[in-house]
Amino acid sequence: MRKLPRRDKLKIYGDLLYFIYSEAKAEKLVLTRVQLKTNVPFDRLKTYIADLKELDLVLDEPSLRLTDKGKQYLKEYQAVLDFMKRMGLTY
Amino acid sequence: MDNFALILIEAVSAILCFVLLRFMIKPYQATGEGRYLGLPVGFAFLGVSYIFMGLALYYESLIFFDDLKWFQLFTQAYALAFLAATYYFSKKPPERTRLWWDITYAGLFFAAVISYLVVFEPPMFGLPSYKIVDEYFRLFNIVLLAYISIHTLRSHVSQPDPKTIWIPLSYLLLGFSQYSFLIWSLDSSFSAYMGAHLLRLSGLLIFLFVVYQAFHSKRGRSPKEGISDEEAST
Repeated sequence: MRKLPRRDKLKIYGDLLYFIYSEAKAEKLVLTRVQLKTNVPFDRLKTYIADLKELDLVLDEPSLRLTDKGKQYLKEYQAVLDFMKRMGLTY
Repeated sequence: MDNFALILIEAVSAILCFVLLRFMIKPYQATGEGRYLGLPVGFAFLGVSYIFMGLALYYESLIFFDDLKWFQLFTQAYALAFLAATYYFSKKPPERTRLWWDITYAGLFFAAVISYLVVFEPPMFGLPSYKIVDEYFRLFNIVLLAYISIHTLRSHVSQPDPKTIWIPLSYLLLGFSQYSFLIWSLDSSFSAYMGAHLLRLSGLLIFLFVVYQAFHSKRGRSPKEGISDEEAST
């Protein structure tokens, strides 16, 4: 079995935000689906989502979705990742 | 080529480096990982080295002309050493190499300060001729740039993508520029001297193109990699 590379908190936040963004059209996004797709244990996922809510990056009412600040953050984060890939830097 | 044109090329190169510096710091700002700090530091040192060279050309008749050229030599070599260290540590797992990159960067800063003190502060040591040292430094720079080019080329080959080919190309151009300077230093060929400046400018312009593509171009990024400005602002 292939060993997955270890992710730091920032990468997990990035993956979470990207998944929530990509599921924006879903009527209701439940945590179990987020957990399955982002590969984060449920107890830690709840902590991460609470952190993201505290940072005003996501909203969970009526369903989990990104705030404007969250969209802006995700846009900048992905631009930096794209730049690092172009520069030949591994992250 | 008269001095004015050369000074202009040095000034443009320095400006390009400082513009690039603004973007090179972003990986460090976004990830908070010290291993990416060598990228902005490297470009800052590179910019400073072009300023020293420009000043050396401008004050050619003054007594500290030689000092400025020595400064340029050291600063450029340290710039490339910082860049090479960044690429070396970028492929290592951060949790195991954190201490090593801290030691490497601190060591490079320490060595930079010590070498400036040894060369420019009393007691003055008898230094070899600038021309000989210049040739060795060019060789050192070529080795570092070859390492960085191979590293970026391997990263491109492992995940082929048309947009990742530009950076190995720009590092190769910087390497060829150093090689041209070496040829010029050996046989005083005017075309090698001019070629070296043009290759360096082309390399830096490619960096600028890559930065533009990554941060300002909407076409440069595929929809999977980012969200549009309209979506981000709604």
